[in-house]
Amino acid sequence: MTDPAEHWLRSTRVAVVVGKGGVGSSTVAAAYALAAAREGADVLFVAVDGRPGMGPLLGGRELDQNDRILRRIKGAGQVRGRTIPADQAFGDYLELRGVGGMLRRAASAASLPMIAAATPGLEHLLVLGKIKELERDRAADLIIVDAPPAGHAAPFLRSASGLSDVVQSGPVRDQAVEVDAMLRDPARCQAMIVTLPEETPVTEAIELANELRGDVGLALMPLVINACWPERPGLSKTPAMAARSQKVTLSASAKASLASSSVFGRKRLERQHQQIDRLGSTLGLPMVTLPRLPTPRLTLHHLGVLADALVVPLVEPNAEAST
Amino acid sequence: MTTTENASAPTGSFVSEVSSASLIVTCGPGGVGKTTTAAALGVAAARAGRRVVVVTVDPARRLADALGLDAGAASDAPHRVTGLPGIDTDEATGELWALMLDAASTFDRLVHEQTANAKQAEAILENPVYRAISGSLSGAQEYMAIERLHQLYTSGEWDLVIVDTPPSRHAIDLLEAPDRLIGFLSHPVYRTLTVGQRAFAKVTNAAASMFLWAVRRLAGPQIVEDTVEFFRSLANIEPGLRKRAGEVSVLLRSDAATFVVVSSPRAEAIGEAEHLIGALRDGDFPFAGVVINLIHPMPDPLTPVDRAALADIGDGPLADHLSWHDELTDLAVSEREELAVLADLAEDVSVVELPLLAVDVHDVAGLVGLADQLVGGN
Repeated sequence: MTDPAEHWLRSTRVAVVVGKGGVGSSTVAAAYALAAAREGADVLFVAVDGRPGMGPLLGGRELDQNDRILRRIKGAGQVRGRTIPADQAFGDYLELRGVGGMLRRAASAASLPMIAAATPGLEHLLVLGKIKELERDRAADLIIVDAPPAGHAAPFLRSASGLSDVVQSGPVRDQAVEVDAMLRDPARCQAMIVTLPEETPVTEAIELANELRGDVGLALMPLVINACWPERPGLSKTPAMAARSQKVTLSASAKASLASSSVFGRKRLERQHQQIDRLGSTLGLPMVTLPRLPTPRLTLHHLGVLADALVVPLVEPNAEAST
Repeated sequence: MTTTENASAPTGSFVSEVSSASLIVTCGPGGVGKTTTAAALGVAAARAGRRVVVVTVDPARRLADALGLDAGAASDAPHRVTGLPGIDTDEATGELWALMLDAASTFDRLVHEQTANAKQAEAILENPVYRAISGSLSGAQEYMAIERLHQLYTSGEWDLVIVDTPPSRHAIDLLEAPDRLIGFLSHPVYRTLTVGQRAFAKVTNAAASMFLWAVRRLAGPQIVEDTVEFFRSLANIEPGLRKRAGEVSVLLRSDAATFVVVSSPRAEAIGEAEHLIGALRDGDFPFAGVVINLIHPMPDPLTPVDRAALADIGDGPLADHLSWHDELTDLAVSEREELAVLADLAEDVSVVELPLLAVDVHDVAGLVGLADQLVGGN
């Protein structure tokens, strides 16, 4: 376990893991939780939209709004998990503000959707507000937030600044200001952007990074490039050339079989290198590459492989560009 | 090389949908190539001689470029796609147009249509609460995709309208959007706030006054006034909205419409696609079939003799070839097991399997290649 890796895995108290749909950001968030727990941290994994399967993937029960231990690591830390449904965040918020039964009844009579419709971004803000309370109370050494997918991550994180345009006063504004302060303090909160080594996800990651660094004022952790094809330098040769250099004679059928996979692999690897270089040179952030796992269905074992891959020296953008 | 083609063994085709449907809706989980599939279906229909418009939501930049759309800036008016082989000739009748959904301006257009005069429309359009929510009201984007589809369909200008749905974890939101809007308008608090156009001070309904009190406590007095004003002005267009939501709900279940589910062979995507197919069937929506995209190519197997000959090679470039061959084979095999689940579930409809290409689709030529596979022209 290298020092720099420990340094970045534990460099903040709230890590918001974001990525466009399909890049595997929830899986990376879970692997991050496991990696930090192995380093000794008491980790709280928070699934914002409560997507199914995350609790079992981490070795525990399906997540719900109760904070539960999912996994203890012998001699090290643990992973806890929970969801934060907007209505629960709303109830907790009212309680916290000391507004008693009257307002709570009002809220339930009107129903959160009605209030949320009148106050755009409120649901997101309430969830972020709850995360802010957990952070302030030091509910865990590290809180990992599995942010909403697809186009919803940026609106989620922008809800605090966006709401202040509409709401001029009152506790919602106070809440927005406090959440904004947390998002702008790198010691308290940073974002981990997850992407794939492909053109469209890389373009979207660059846009997301600029948006989060700019409007939202979030500090960014190293970029995580998920599902990278393993480096196999031998693929740059044809099977026949490769065989000659290892002094092996290949039959015609073996050459054809190996060529049927190597042509695809070589093209994908070339594109992967181009996209990683583009990401590094555009954003100038350190990067971590995670291997593409040869399965469409992940298990706890696979999560361990990804956690190991997170705890490695970072790829600095310049070093990567020169390889 | 046949490496990228041999993954594709189409077991179905959308040839009848692209040549006879009036509406096609593509839906599915994020990151599976939904927008690309919608565009390719449009290409296929245009090449079959039809006048087609594809409504996209947040297309990836390269695809937007291919369609002549300016990514980042929504372009709400249809834009002709040029450079399609076979339809840019004088005798050809097919045309492909594309537009990018702009939820806010679609909502604005709806307000204009449904109000009696410009003054009423302005009262709504200039309300700060309206301005803030027209793009972000829960389900608004999904509803507006459907609303735009209805506008284009009823305009009579198009043989076929194809709508790509917003990326949504619960893709089912789209189908429920009209019903949800009706539910919102039927909410007792909303009803009390709008019925009879009473002054705020005279709101006597307990739930409504509590609602206003809660909003005031939480967000301050200004937003209460804006909110009440907004709900009041919305009351003017409510009958129209309600009627429209009903029409859309009927249209989506009619013979003119059909749904195509797009997925990838990853387990999470398949799970969502299964859920979506169930919802389409439960809701009596016409369901044309499934596109399973991004399937890894299956390498040609090594013979037992060849494998035995390669059993003891040490590290080196040939070992890279061998381990890569085995890894790609394992992945390709397990993906085929995953997608068999989906194929079983959709055995009475078309299932088209598309390979993960070595290079992503990013131009019209790529769309044409995909279109040929979707209509069985492989």
